[in-house]
Amino acid sequence: MKPLPPLDPIASSALERLKHNYILQAWLVLMLALFFGASLAVVHLRLGPRIEQNKANETRHRIPEIILGSARAEDPARQERALTSSARTISVKKQGRELLYTVYEARHPEGNLAGWVAKAAGQGYADKVELLIGFSPSVDAITGIFVLDQKETPGLGNKITTVDWRSQFAEIKTAQPVEVIKSGAKRPNQIDAITGATISSRSVTRIVNTTVEDLRGPLAALARNAKD
Amino acid sequence: MHYLTDIILIALGAALINNFVLYYFVGICPFIGVSRRIDMAIGMGFAVTFVISIAAFLSWTITTFMLKPGAPVSKWAAGFFMPAASAAQVDLTVLSYIVYIFAIASSVQFVEMYVRRFYPSLYRSFGVFLPLITTNCAILFACLIIFSRIVGVDNPADAWDIGRALTLAVFGGIGFTIAITIMAGIREELELCDIPKPLKGAGITLIVASILAMAFMGFTGVDSGLKSALTPAAVEHTQSAEE
Amino acid sequence: MPVAPTPAERFIQGILPENPVYRQLLGLCPTLAVTNGLKAALTMAGAVAFVLFCANIVTSMIRHLLKPHLRIVIFTLIIATFVTITDRFLAAYMYNMSKTLGPYIPLIIVNCIIICRCEVCASRQSMFTAAADALGQAGGFALALASIAAVREVLGTGQLFGIQVLPTVWPNWIIMILPPGAFMTLGLLLGAVNWIQLRRSEKAGQTSE
Repeated sequence: MKPLPPLDPIASSALERLKHNYILQAWLVLMLALFFGASLAVVHLRLGPRIEQNKANETRHRIPEIILGSARAEDPARQERALTSSARTISVKKQGRELLYTVYEARHPEGNLAGWVAKAAGQGYADKVELLIGFSPSVDAITGIFVLDQKETPGLGNKITTVDWRSQFAEIKTAQPVEVIKSGAKRPNQIDAITGATISSRSVTRIVNTTVEDLRGPLAALARNAKD
Repeated sequence: MHYLTDIILIALGAALINNFVLYYFVGICPFIGVSRRIDMAIGMGFAVTFVISIAAFLSWTITTFMLKPGAPVSKWAAGFFMPAASAAQVDLTVLSYIVYIFAIASSVQFVEMYVRRFYPSLYRSFGVFLPLITTNCAILFACLIIFSRIVGVDNPADAWDIGRALTLAVFGGIGFTIAITIMAGIREELELCDIPKPLKGAGITLIVASILAMAFMGFTGVDSGLKSALTPAAVEHTQSAEE
Repeated sequence: MPVAPTPAERFIQGILPENPVYRQLLGLCPTLAVTNGLKAALTMAGAVAFVLFCANIVTSMIRHLLKPHLRIVIFTLIIATFVTITDRFLAAYMYNMSKTLGPYIPLIIVNCIIICRCEVCASRQSMFTAAADALGQAGGFALALASIAAVREVLGTGQLFGIQVLPTVWPNWIIMILPPGAFMTLGLLLGAVNWIQLRRSEKAGQTSE
């Protein structure tokens, strides 16, 4: 901070120079602020919609793969018969708290329901894991999962994103919770954990089971209403 | 109870598990520059903690009440120019970085004036480091995390309140203090060692930091274990079905 | 009175002799954070180059209007604006990369390199010199990031830019992608650069005797 000017009388020209200085300063900062504010507003207006589109596409592009399985989704013959999806929010009351789930309803071009994709999150080994879980129309089976976001250990826990491990979830019936076995899964609702990443595997399974329990009722009801 | 669990997990996460310096790599410049003596390191750590708290408070308040879509002040101001429905959609988040950096600069200025007035000897020993806290990545980083937890959530009910934001800020600063103090202790010992000339100064500090980071990696997973321990038994029931 | 460096001098100085990371130890936060892959490192280097270039040009344009006590505020305003533009641009056109880089793009605002160059060069010299300085420093920064990222990615995953360069029998040193590997790589490479510098000045000292 500059020291205060001395207390003896200041010549009027010096006082004028001092005032002129500060006014010039404020003027410059304000002009710059206005100019930059305007340019940022322009940038926001032009790029904002595109960014929103990117965010939405992140999940929507995954829906065919999760509902139909990666082989069928990439089949070129199916491209013209692509699925349409619409988002809705399902509210579930649990232990006195209201949880909101974002669920995408996927329909075939003919209009009949192809399945549901729910976005779920939960605690992994390190930080949060975000998943997309696909269900059959009457929520009697899981059609597949996709990991949207994870911060698990590279080389160990982050193998939950690999197609090999995730494909174990396809076609599992939801009547019983999914179980994680260290190796050698035999029964239909059992899956193998990743070697060296048991906690990550268990966390993903727990998120899937919790989501199934929460959404089974509301989604099955919606599917029945849609049919009528 | 759920709130307290959340606060404990955020605090533990910010201070130890996802330590600002050793995991997120923010605040490296003072970490290497100021960590030669323990007393200076602790002083710097407390100063940074203080500034982070003020800056986090300011940025949470401004984001929640002015910047995010549907914020009260922007809705009221835009209500003069446009119909209420589109006034509720006005999104000023594009200005957030500018607002945060000025909030930080003001916090540092405020802290500097306070320290100069009430602790002149401390002010003199700090020298030029106090204004340099403005360019400390850790403070802007804390503001950015708070921003992403207010604006980046799908469900508005999950947006962080002031308690969680301040917890993150204070304990992030404490984690920074822990890391920089440990480093200062080690460097004081290193002064008696024969370090190769090319590695003197920043080189050896970074190598020691890598070993420290490895040690802190041992904290990973503590929060997931703690979370299942602190979560009420009723929810455990659904989890034990699969064990 | 020392002569102010020419544009060409500014450019060349920025790449190795006054390299922002290895010689000046500035901007270490992104250097450690985004160098676990070569693609992310080069994107960050590009973003910093853009912000540095624009900030230098604008600062140089208004350099005669700057007064001592407000100049840091003005630099910060200019840099914050360009960083916001860069961040939005990346989110719009390179969304996945923007998610990978995450909060480290806005952290360019407090990157000491840019404020330092505005202070030292752009606020005192002409636009052309400032531009050359920006390009030189940005080039040096890109060189530093690329060297660290190359080491970390090759040792940590056996790949470079996603292409396998080491035989698959290579046991990936995962630690290189994690934080300890970042610190270790930077520390050792810094030591290497210092060693080269010391040898050079020793040789220069010997030949001048």
